[in-house]
Amino acid sequence: MSKIEMTVNGKTVAGEAEDRTLLVNFLRDNLGLTGTHVGCDTSQCGCCTIHLNGDAIKSCTMLAIQAEGADIVTIEGMAKGEKLHPVQQAFTECHGLQCGFCTPGMIMTSAAILKQTPNPTEHDIVKGLHGNLCRCTGYVNIVKSVKRAAEIINSGA
Amino acid sequence: MYALNYQRAKSLDEAVKLLGAEPEAKLMAGGQTLIPTLKARLAQPSHLIDLARVAELKGIEVKDGVLIIGAMSKHYEVMTSAVVQKAIPGLANMASLIGDLQVRNMGTMGGSIANNDPAADYPAGVLAHNVTIVTNKREIKADDYFQGMFATALEEGEIIIKLLWPLPKKSAYSKFEHPASGYAMAGTCIAQLADGSVRVGVTGAGSSGAFRWTEAEEALAKSFSLKALEGLKVDPETCLGDLHAPPEYRAHLVGVMAKRALEKML
Amino acid sequence: MQPSRREDLRLIQGTGHYTADWNQPGQLYGYVLRSPEAHADIVSLNVEPARAFPGVVKVMTFADVEAAGFKSLVGGVAPNVKGVGDSAMKKPFYPVLADKKVQYVGQAVAYVIAETAAIAQDASEAIEIEYSQLPPTVTVEDSLADGAPQLHADIPGNVGFVYERGDAAAVDEQFKRAKYTSKIHLESQRLIVNPMEPRACLAVYHADEDRYTLYSSSQGIVNMRNQVSTVTGIPQAKLEIIADDVGGSFGIRSTPYPEYMVSLLAAKQLGKPIKWVGTRTDSFLSDYHGRALELNGEIAIDENGRFLAFRWDDRVDLGGYAGGNGAFIGTNNLTITCGGVYDVAALYARTRLIYTNTTPISAYRGAGRPDIAFAIERLVDQACHDHGLDPVETRRKNFVKAAQMPYKTPLGTTYDCGDFAAVMDDALAQADWAGFAGRKAASEKAGKLRGIGFATFLEASGGGNTPSDQTAARFDAKGDVTIYCAAGASGQGHETTFISLFAKELGITEDGIGYRASDSNMAVVGNGTGGSRTLLGQGSSFKLLAQKVIEKATPHAAEALGVTADAVSYAGGSFSAGGKSVGLRELAKKLASAAAAHPFDCGAEGTFGVTFPNGCHVAEVEFDPVTGVAEIASYAAVDDLGNVMQPTLVLGQVHGGVVQGAGQVFGEHAVYDRESGQFLTASFMDYTMPRAATVPLAMKWRGHAVPTKTNLLGAKGVGESGCSGSLPALMNAVMNALRPMGIDNMQMPITAAKVWQALQASEGGAAVRKAA
Repeated sequence: MSKIEMTVNGKTVAGEAEDRTLLVNFLRDNLGLTGTHVGCDTSQCGCCTIHLNGDAIKSCTMLAIQAEGADIVTIEGMAKGEKLHPVQQAFTECHGLQCGFCTPGMIMTSAAILKQTPNPTEHDIVKGLHGNLCRCTGYVNIVKSVKRAAEIINSGA
Repeated sequence: MYALNYQRAKSLDEAVKLLGAEPEAKLMAGGQTLIPTLKARLAQPSHLIDLARVAELKGIEVKDGVLIIGAMSKHYEVMTSAVVQKAIPGLANMASLIGDLQVRNMGTMGGSIANNDPAADYPAGVLAHNVTIVTNKREIKADDYFQGMFATALEEGEIIIKLLWPLPKKSAYSKFEHPASGYAMAGTCIAQLADGSVRVGVTGAGSSGAFRWTEAEEALAKSFSLKALEGLKVDPETCLGDLHAPPEYRAHLVGVMAKRALEKML
Repeated sequence: MQPSRREDLRLIQGTGHYTADWNQPGQLYGYVLRSPEAHADIVSLNVEPARAFPGVVKVMTFADVEAAGFKSLVGGVAPNVKGVGDSAMKKPFYPVLADKKVQYVGQAVAYVIAETAAIAQDASEAIEIEYSQLPPTVTVEDSLADGAPQLHADIPGNVGFVYERGDAAAVDEQFKRAKYTSKIHLESQRLIVNPMEPRACLAVYHADEDRYTLYSSSQGIVNMRNQVSTVTGIPQAKLEIIADDVGGSFGIRSTPYPEYMVSLLAAKQLGKPIKWVGTRTDSFLSDYHGRALELNGEIAIDENGRFLAFRWDDRVDLGGYAGGNGAFIGTNNLTITCGGVYDVAALYARTRLIYTNTTPISAYRGAGRPDIAFAIERLVDQACHDHGLDPVETRRKNFVKAAQMPYKTPLGTTYDCGDFAAVMDDALAQADWAGFAGRKAASEKAGKLRGIGFATFLEASGGGNTPSDQTAARFDAKGDVTIYCAAGASGQGHETTFISLFAKELGITEDGIGYRASDSNMAVVGNGTGGSRTLLGQGSSFKLLAQKVIEKATPHAAEALGVTADAVSYAGGSFSAGGKSVGLRELAKKLASAAAAHPFDCGAEGTFGVTFPNGCHVAEVEFDPVTGVAEIASYAAVDDLGNVMQPTLVLGQVHGGVVQGAGQVFGEHAVYDRESGQFLTASFMDYTMPRAATVPLAMKWRGHAVPTKTNLLGAKGVGESGCSGSLPALMNAVMNALRPMGIDNMQMPITAAKVWQALQASEGGAAVRKAA
């Protein structure tokens, strides 16, 4: 067991965990942040995507202790109070989710896509979503949501 | 994952020391292949030595006609580095095709090369560009480094520090993605080096890992044209076959990817 | 900002409650040890070393579930369904944990319970099991072969059931008089359902009340609770099941799994909550698989191009046991619409249900409906090709006409309504069918092979297995109301749809209306989500419920208004009489009390008939002959879903269904090694899921409603139509592109490697190879 400390959604947090504990399990089990999901065990589905020091990563493919001292944002930290993050807003406006299980990962990845390419083409979006699987939506409205989120962000709303 | 002890090395010296201290210790770079392997309980290291904060393994620069890339450079850094984009744009492009957005934010060049997955992208580039791999013990030429699937020339206690990419005249990579995993089902990298010689590195297809396609190299050295590749074929006997693709198909794809890479260079 | 759905605000902020998100104080963790063998005797099983592992609390095996009196997992056809010669289905005992023998890789053998999930898994490796391997059979063909390995001692030849429907002699007659006949062999390959949320459960025993709570994803608690009770002996009244947010279902969550049963047992025996969270590997190995059907069809056509009869001889791979709904799919669902949208004189179908050493089969989106729709439309297309018949005009000639509705098929099924020709014309216009030649020429110029295909199909929705769909309304002390039904949502948006429907029906705003599905304490029964039926079943019941609320409230309104009940009228959310009025909400609030049940509380129920969503989907596919890679170049669909309540959500269902069909056509395939019986595609690394880059993002769709009278809403259902349309439309397009190359049939999935190989071997491919 090691004591692990990091900043999550702007707050300093700490917990005890075995060295083999994955970051996603630390977030879910130690910190109770169950919005980050586990959808596979081979780093393919992207349901566990979070932001680590500003970059989208798969929290199932990292040990919690590796993230010691890191600055982490999870889906729970995306909205600012009542105000949804533009990507969250776009996902609901465009019906970019059905069962919602992949959605936190989709939103975290989409936010990263838009950070890297603020005016993405459809190709940029589908390439950016390569590491995220969805079984419900057929991706049609997810891609639409990312385009819409770009509009919202670029309009400064 | 089996229980293990995590150790964070703060310097190369410390990493070497930690690695030597435990017979079952293992190095971790970005962990993007290693952690899934551990999760599947396919490996049981007693200690995991994290190289993420070893400063000596970082940095990207061009010096004396050589692009020097620190082993812990992430794929995203390679893909977006202005230095790489200017020096070897084909390499920046190759990095952009690895894994997915999230993996590129964690995975590293050194980790990929040390693991030598037969379907990883970088090995094709390393072979094609005649890269020199610098470790804490020595320098290893690309041709001596890859020793079959998941096997390399690295010895016990050896750590990759950086990779030296001689600047080519031009180079390009083309990849046919495995439809499920996104790894290379066949990937071909062509480099025309500063001395005019041509090297062709192939990944994803070979039954003993990445290899140089010497026939294509000879043909392209004579005539650097699409015509030169016509009729050339990798021997399917030397190719991987599995439920997704028979060896004949992989052999065929190597040629197709070679043409597509060459098209980018002409 | 306008959210599309009520569900969204929690789901986009990570505050939903999926099963693994629940925890209970003092909970222990389970780990399932699964069979690594496809077919083997368990010679010895010693769990003591695991039991002795630090942190391990209990290790359970068949002996434990036997001692607890557990019965077989539930499966097979209903007892009243008889096969050929009045035979009953042969169903082996399907133990919750394997007894003496394992029948497939991944079958649950032991259950380790420990203080942490990691310890439970660590300890599982200490269990000593000696298996004696038996030769496996993983295909129906191998199971039926002479000398095939026998899975179950009392089921010689591995044939569980032979079922038939229709009139074989009448079909023979029609084939005798036919001018043309065609036949086709098709495989609807085994798939992994793969909802994004892996299965999980949390079982709690309340000793003081001798009562259980099971947190587990579900499509509807009635069936779940019923089956858990049947297997474990826990009375239904003592079992509460909680499923809030469910991360996709697609058919595999309508029945319970072994982990749920053993966790309930352990929770009671240990007096502690037991949590089990499956991995994706568990999903691949132990969720019921989907499809695994082989369809062999023949069609008889007369000299005028009129279809006379269809004959089917299908084989259904059940897996190692009869579990879930596999047998129901392989009998009823595969045959009920086996003449499709066509008016024919005779129909006959035989299906054989076969055991193999594979994971048992159950429902996957459409549950046999897409498979038979696919087979009919591939067969019709093949016949048109074989005999030079125009695929559009031949279909038109043979449709059941709108004027013939209601139409009774030779099997006795009644199609209530539909206008197939109008739907087809609408779809072909939307797809610019007429302009295909130009697009094909452009593709050819670019070195690509382009094909177009379409399918006119229907499917049966609305059938259910509980006699009626009940709903209930409960008003609270503030006068707010919560409405209930038994169908569990997993992304369909029931909360949004039903609250909206109920509010509209009452003429009130949606504020203060809550929705709860699958609340075991409410004793509301009804069908689970499935068969595209929830809107037409539960939705109709909610419409009735609104009327009940008005009935209940009317006497109170009359009293408030000082008139007799018959003088009161209701409109727009208010009761009025003689110029005075009182709002329903206002009245509800006034009559609310914390002490007693609200006088407006009421329930409704109804039984709603089968109906037939239908449509025409048109697809264009383009192949790169150099690599064999396919791209869906265009997709246009028109569906008659009856009346549509929520257009945005309906379109979402269409997208998802079409893409699941595309996944089956181009990539998905659960593969077993024929020699060893090992499962080769047990992760997303080897099982090709559709990704954002491989789907038709520019899909066109429109509705063409012919409302049904079989339910109160005129709705026909949408859940499964996307798959039923896309499988045949895409495959007809694939064959249209490849036939000129000399390729006359290909089985799904149409992978690039397979196409390239076929082109290598084909005559037509020679020209392409040269050009490449």
